[in-house]
Amino acid sequence: MSPPIAPGEPVFTADTVKLKVCMAGEAAVGKTSLIRRYVLDEYDDRYVATLGTKVSKKSLIATDPLTSKLVEVHTILWDVMGTRTLRELLKEAYYHGAQGILAVADLTREETLGELDAWARSIRAVAGDVPTYVVVNKADLEADRAVKESEIDAFCHARGWPWSYTSAKTGRGVEDGFRHLVDVLLNVRADSLK
Amino acid sequence: MRPDQEFASRPEPPSLEEINPVTHERPDTDALVRERLRANADDVDALFVLAALRLRDGDVGGGLSVLERVLRIDPRYPGAWIFKAKLHGLLGDREAAESARQSAEAHEP
Repeated sequence: MSPPIAPGEPVFTADTVKLKVCMAGEAAVGKTSLIRRYVLDEYDDRYVATLGTKVSKKSLIATDPLTSKLVEVHTILWDVMGTRTLRELLKEAYYHGAQGILAVADLTREETLGELDAWARSIRAVAGDVPTYVVVNKADLEADRAVKESEIDAFCHARGWPWSYTSAKTGRGVEDGFRHLVDVLLNVRADSLK
Repeated sequence: MRPDQEFASRPEPPSLEEINPVTHERPDTDALVRERLRANADDVDALFVLAALRLRDGDVGGGLSVLERVLRIDPRYPGAWIFKAKLHGLLGDREAAESARQSAEAHEP
């Protein structure tokens, strides 16, 4: 995998790392709710369509695989609209300098998994071959499941995308999902700097 | 014509409840933008999307005009400078596109 570091994009110092992570996924899969749960530990059941661009920041401490020392990671989370036409028109604006993708599918809508291919293509056309981590959201709605676990696994495995379940509503898996992506990005960064 | 003036001269748009009475699915983006700008002509999110809608409709110059309004209201609006660079590029103005890219480096979160 090629290094995700574009000239002038990430800001690395001795003990801080800044990462731009872009959310991907169809409208109403829960992109905004996942960020809200992760950053604020809040959830609101009302659906409010995202308009424009929303940027949230969350800092965490992680072990830098390059030095084995603790590093402060400033994660810049870009939440975008789930509208396909506008995604294409705005892809440069959204994905310029992105270092990772958190791709979101909806457990209750099978088509939202397949659509992640188009999202990934759009992002990679701008940001290059950046790591992708998939979360299958709305895991609290198991009774309404529309896609089998084996199908999710096969889809993600074929693309080399690690994945896990999340529920922005209950909080299940949310911290771990973001954390996993950060760990992947730190490993990619370490490989590129070795 | 400013975006708010343009929308003010149009017929009353349907409310979000009228657009999506039961499903609460994603409302039509154009209608959402109109409603937001009617409530606040300086709604920078709605203006940013309006710029994209102008581009979608083939009006690159109109999109650029709206985007410049976005950047007057919020010079750090995420993605706006890069979008501006794209629009200048589409209009063939390489110098302005490069200037916008440099502004993006200075202003992006």
